[in-house]
Amino acid sequence: MGTERVFSIDFSQLDLTVRKIENMTGDQDGASSGILTDLIAEALDEASLMCSVKAEYRIFNGVTFNPAGKTVSIDSTSFDISKIVYSQIRKSTAIAIFLCTAGQEIGTASGAAMKEGDLLKGYLFDIIGSEIVEAAADLMQNSLHKEMNASGLGITNRYSPGYCGWNVAEQHKLFSLMPGNRCGIALNESALMSPIKSVSGFIGIGGNVRFNPYTCSFCDMKECIYRSRRIKPAAAK
Amino acid sequence: MDDILNRLARCVEYGKTDKAASYPPDMKGQDGADELAKQALEQGIKPDEILEKSLVLAMAAVGDRFTRKEIYVPQMLMAARAMNAAMKHLKPYFQSGETKRKGKFIVGTVAGDLHDIGKNLVAMMVEGGGWEVIDLGTDVSTEKFLKAIDENPGAVVGLSALLTTTMENMKKTVAAIREKHGAMQILVGGAPVTMDYCKKIGADFYSPDPQGAVNYLRQFGA
Ligand code: B1M
Repeated sequence: MGTERVFSIDFSQLDLTVRKIENMTGDQDGASSGILTDLIAEALDEASLMCSVKAEYRIFNGVTFNPAGKTVSIDSTSFDISKIVYSQIRKSTAIAIFLCTAGQEIGTASGAAMKEGDLLKGYLFDIIGSEIVEAAADLMQNSLHKEMNASGLGITNRYSPGYCGWNVAEQHKLFSLMPGNRCGIALNESALMSPIKSVSGFIGIGGNVRFNPYTCSFCDMKECIYRSRRIKPAAAK
Repeated sequence: MDDILNRLARCVEYGKTDKAASYPPDMKGQDGADELAKQALEQGIKPDEILEKSLVLAMAAVGDRFTRKEIYVPQMLMAARAMNAAMKHLKPYFQSGETKRKGKFIVGTVAGDLHDIGKNLVAMMVEGGGWEVIDLGTDVSTEKFLKAIDENPGAVVGLSALLTTTMENMKKTVAAIREKHGAMQILVGGAPVTMDYCKKIGADFYSPDPQGAVNYLRQFGA
């Protein structure tokens, strides 16, 4: 095992704007009514005061790819990463395993608003929570990218159990390689992470790997909101 | 009568809650769902007529526009807010039994799964379709589903799951419901669920969106 990095991320670093959240509600042209943009701005203000955003990665140097089984072994744990993910990371010489969370608060606030009957506010908190964790994962990934670049290496996109045919249950193995779990994420039997606004996954590292800005075409989830909203996947700048 | 019911339906469809609401801008200063529902009752229109000929139609229009991707979740939620403002005046009639709903719909996200937004949207739209909704929440065990079904004979049940792992729990719950309650109607949904999977696990209907569930339910209930 190599480097480990832990990030405590301030809300202001995430660069979340009303326009970005609006886009995730489906409104790509920014034609939302004033009331919605006001509500988003308000919810963003509230979110900025409540979230404890964390991310971490660990770089594992000893990785072995098995082309026949489309698996990768990290520290003698074998991951069945599916054909799609395998093809994207197979040239990596190391893998960074990451965890990232927006914290419990935003999910709690969303649930509380919904329970009180304010479904719209609950929904906006929910979307903001998703955007927080994605933006935080972007920051973590950018930092990894910079660090690797300095040693002449490149990185791949982020790939998560549950996407692109990689079984979500493999998160149990992934978590077993992150014993410190500095983000404080709990994994239940069904491989659901708590806080709900959390993500996990791999980033490939190597001299011969590259970041692909358009990954939606690989994914089999045709109705995904990220695809229909034409959001560019996180780019390692 | 038609005029006030049409106006009420328009308020619900476009999310005009009450007179004070500034949304939507082109209805500013006009009576909203709150005032119009009250006026309709004062005019002697029966609560079930208000529900059927105005609110349910409005919410169906909202659901259809959402399915066609003409509007998005926030607009749907604003319509629900207006619907609730009108329903506030009708609730006493439902509670006294003077007005009946179409039936009961028990809904929950299956065991091990904490996703609730999609399930909440379905619950809201089914309620808007004139059904009484019993929302069991998230991470609902099979036992909890079975208990709710026992307590509400004749209800239809809806299960939501957002992960392939928790779809397994959906399968187990459907099997347990089938074993105990035979032919009762079971609806399933959630991002990774498909019609094929629905058939495979022995559920009756899969819908990718809330309105599909509402439309399917039309053939059941009073
Ligand atoms: C009873 O009848 C019915 C009828 C209709 C029913 C119904 C019941 N229930 C729902 N419906 C339907 O009506 C609703 C309204 O139209 C719809 O409900 P939905 O709940 O689907 O829709 C909501 C209103 C809006 N949709 C959403 O809120 C989910 C959107 C997508 C893009 C999504 C998001 C945003 C997120 N995610 Co993730 N996420 C995806 C989603 C893909 C998608 N759906 O587009 C999904 C659910 N995620 C997935 C995964 C894998 C994951 N996610 C994760 C994380 C995240 C974010 C944090 C980034 C974020 C928020 C998640 C959250 N739960 O809050 C991870 C898990 C998180 C956890 N806590 O464990 C992680 C496991 C990835 C990882 N390893 O980090 C996939 C699950 C597939 C699987 N293999 O299990 C996924 C389908 C994406 C994909 N492309 O494959 C319909 O499904």
